[in-house]
Amino acid sequence: MPEEELLKIEELSKHFGGVYAVSGVSLDVRKGGIWGLVGPNGSGKSTLFNTILGLYRPDGGCIYFNGRKINNLSSHQIYGLGIVNSFQVPRLFFQMSVMDNMLVAARGHQGDGLFNSLFLRGGWQSQERELIDRALEFIELVELGKMVFALAGELSGGQRKLLELARGLMAKPRLLLLDEPAAGVNPVVGKKIFQKLQTLSKNGTTFFVVEHRLEILFNFASWVYVMDRGKMVTQGQPEKIVDDPAFYQAYLGAE
Amino acid sequence: MDVNWAQVLFNSAITGSLYLLGAVGLTLTYGLSSFPNFAHAEFITLGAFLGYTIGTQLGLGLPIALVVTFFTAGLVGLLCYRGIFQPLAKRGATIIHLMVASIALSFILRYSMGAIWSWKPYYFASSWAAFDVGPLRVTGLWLWLIAIAVGLAIVMHLGLVKTRMGKAIRATSSNPDLALASGININKVILITWFVGAGLAAVAGIFRGADTQIWPLTGWDIILPIFAVTILGGIGNFYGAIASAFIIGLAENFGVVGLMALGLSTSYRLGISFVILIITLIVKPQGLAMFFRRA
Amino acid sequence: MDLLLYGLDLLVFIGIFGILAISLNLEFGFSGLANFGKVAFFLIGAYTYALLSQIGLPFYLCLISGALVAAIFGLLISLPALRLRADYLAIVVLAFGEILRLIVKSEAWLAGGDWGLSVSPAISITGVSPRVDLLVNIALVFSCLLICFVVAQLLSNSPYGRVIRAIREDEVAAEALGKNRARYKVQIFMLGSAMAGVAGGLYAQYLQAIVPMLFLPIITFTIWIMVLVGGPANNWGVLVGAALVEVFERGANIAKDYIALPIDPSNLQYILFGVLILLVLFYRPQGLFKEIPIKTRALEAVRHAREQIKGEGG
Repeated sequence: MPEEELLKIEELSKHFGGVYAVSGVSLDVRKGGIWGLVGPNGSGKSTLFNTILGLYRPDGGCIYFNGRKINNLSSHQIYGLGIVNSFQVPRLFFQMSVMDNMLVAARGHQGDGLFNSLFLRGGWQSQERELIDRALEFIELVELGKMVFALAGELSGGQRKLLELARGLMAKPRLLLLDEPAAGVNPVVGKKIFQKLQTLSKNGTTFFVVEHRLEILFNFASWVYVMDRGKMVTQGQPEKIVDDPAFYQAYLGAE
Repeated sequence: MDVNWAQVLFNSAITGSLYLLGAVGLTLTYGLSSFPNFAHAEFITLGAFLGYTIGTQLGLGLPIALVVTFFTAGLVGLLCYRGIFQPLAKRGATIIHLMVASIALSFILRYSMGAIWSWKPYYFASSWAAFDVGPLRVTGLWLWLIAIAVGLAIVMHLGLVKTRMGKAIRATSSNPDLALASGININKVILITWFVGAGLAAVAGIFRGADTQIWPLTGWDIILPIFAVTILGGIGNFYGAIASAFIIGLAENFGVVGLMALGLSTSYRLGISFVILIITLIVKPQGLAMFFRRA
Repeated sequence: MDLLLYGLDLLVFIGIFGILAISLNLEFGFSGLANFGKVAFFLIGAYTYALLSQIGLPFYLCLISGALVAAIFGLLISLPALRLRADYLAIVVLAFGEILRLIVKSEAWLAGGDWGLSVSPAISITGVSPRVDLLVNIALVFSCLLICFVVAQLLSNSPYGRVIRAIREDEVAAEALGKNRARYKVQIFMLGSAMAGVAGGLYAQYLQAIVPMLFLPIITFTIWIMVLVGGPANNWGVLVGAALVEVFERGANIAKDYIALPIDPSNLQYILFGVLILLVLFYRPQGLFKEIPIKTRALEAVRHAREQIKGEGG
């Protein structure tokens, strides 16, 4: 089965005031499945994600999505192409309800425009209805069904993490970047999350996941990249990478 | 039109010195506390009134007026921070809330001064002997102002580079997290900055008052150039503020010559700061800070 | 003094400032834009109205033009600052208000300088009592207020309103969810400025004379008090805020004549305003009335259904 290339990064670099957070990183993510990105704290994983998302401008190298160069697009355009993320520390709209948080993420809502919202109120109401139903599915999926109309600011830390994930799924991503989805949620739920991601990945969404809980990630990921001090040190299938000295070097070498 | 260019240049130095004293506190507190304190203008006004009361009404003269005003206004600035901005920030106020609070404080201070000193303008009684130096007409007051501004620049520079506290201020205004991690007492740094900043603004107020008039809007009248200095210099950047204060001093004084040549009202000199402000935001919102990277 | 006339006059002011409060609420309350130069767009509306009415344009065209000119200036002035942090916008717009006042003061040939401009009333019916005249004004002002209010309500209770609230909460996250924040901010800023322009036009035609002194920064601050006291992101709340502040101002003006104070009442009034704002910021930053969550028909239906299930279950 030929695997289609989705995300391709070539020699990407990003520095802050002379300190390289990401330096010369190359990687491929092909369509389907769960792809892992691991490495110790400060190895540049989040910076890499933020650069893909257009939150940071790269200082060198190229990012391609579906064969199109996306280096200089702004983050709303990158969303438009199908890349969505969920932040490591949830960035929810805290004074808004769980449902409204979900609906903001919806793609192509006709009522998002100024003119439509004022003058075509009949037009988007039925669409809103469908979106609400879809949002409810994802809300149930992350077990927030009792909190639909609660403010996001009232959620616990773990619940916020889950809403952040649900919001990302709501955006119908082709590629969803997840920054530590299982951090701060209990291990049983963490495992459940990955099971759900695996199911969803069969319907055309690809996941690229940063995760510190290797025991969970390695059970689900089809390929794992390992970063250390801004560089890509090794990559491979999870069952093989556990035997890779470079992998141990990255995690233990700092000591 | 016959223009004494040497005089225009000298006047630019005077204006620049005034704006530097007026803006240095604003830019440093803006950098440290992450919001622009609009009530900074009232510290300038307070200085003008205190200077008038001490120097002219009590007849104690300029040097004593300068010192007492500096410390009194410094204390007021410190209290404003401790009493309003610090507790508000602790309650999780947003930057917009802090700005609104500073406007509220501005009104409280301005109209309190209006109640104490009235809205009738005052003028300093002592007139300064003017004398000619070559093509320049100079007064003692201006020499004081320039001496203080230059003194400030030197003292601040030495303080920032040599002392522990100065290094702490530089570290904190460029990266509060870093300062916190390195064990600097950030709270003390902020308090000292508010004290010194308000005190210097008040000193600027004495000179501004002596140059124009003393009334509750003495400070607000120059809020535009003060903010232009802050933005052009780069928020929180002392060296940038020095450069931009004199750039704006030059632009204003040469601009006024231009305005007169064009037959426009000279009150548009404030518009020059506005144009500089807008251009800075369009071209380089970080201002001149890039030329003065702190080590 | 005719008490009824006084009350009607107060109503006109509440209406005009109600429009301003609604417009600032769109900008600050819903979208998190710190418009510290509201008075600038109020001034633009007033002077546009005055100048166009002098060349004989009918009042509604003067009002609409005032709104358009204010919106265009809103666009131009906000563009350099909207991509930056909230404080930059605040500084630029505040400075813009000061510059505008300077211009209308200095350019006597255009704007009458310190003496200002005289304006003919929008609808003049000859030979009627001042009361009827005031009623006509109230009808005009409140029609405009109604339109602005309805627009604000429709916007805030729509997917568009959801997006601007999201931008207020976290603009980076909203942008990463595909919302072009710059476009939304510019639209809101133009709309808010247009409303302020309408308010300015109404103000000019009601006073029948405008001078630069009417457009001091204190106007901006007064509108902020209305929004903060009433409740940001609550259109009903800010109307209450507008009414409260106007009544307070009038009350203070009347009290001045009857109560002897050790301190000049006009100074005291602004000191109290400042203290009031600080108290609100410290103890009730959400204002008297809390933000109302977004309501759309679809959302309400779901909410209703869920509550029923819950009711039957429990």
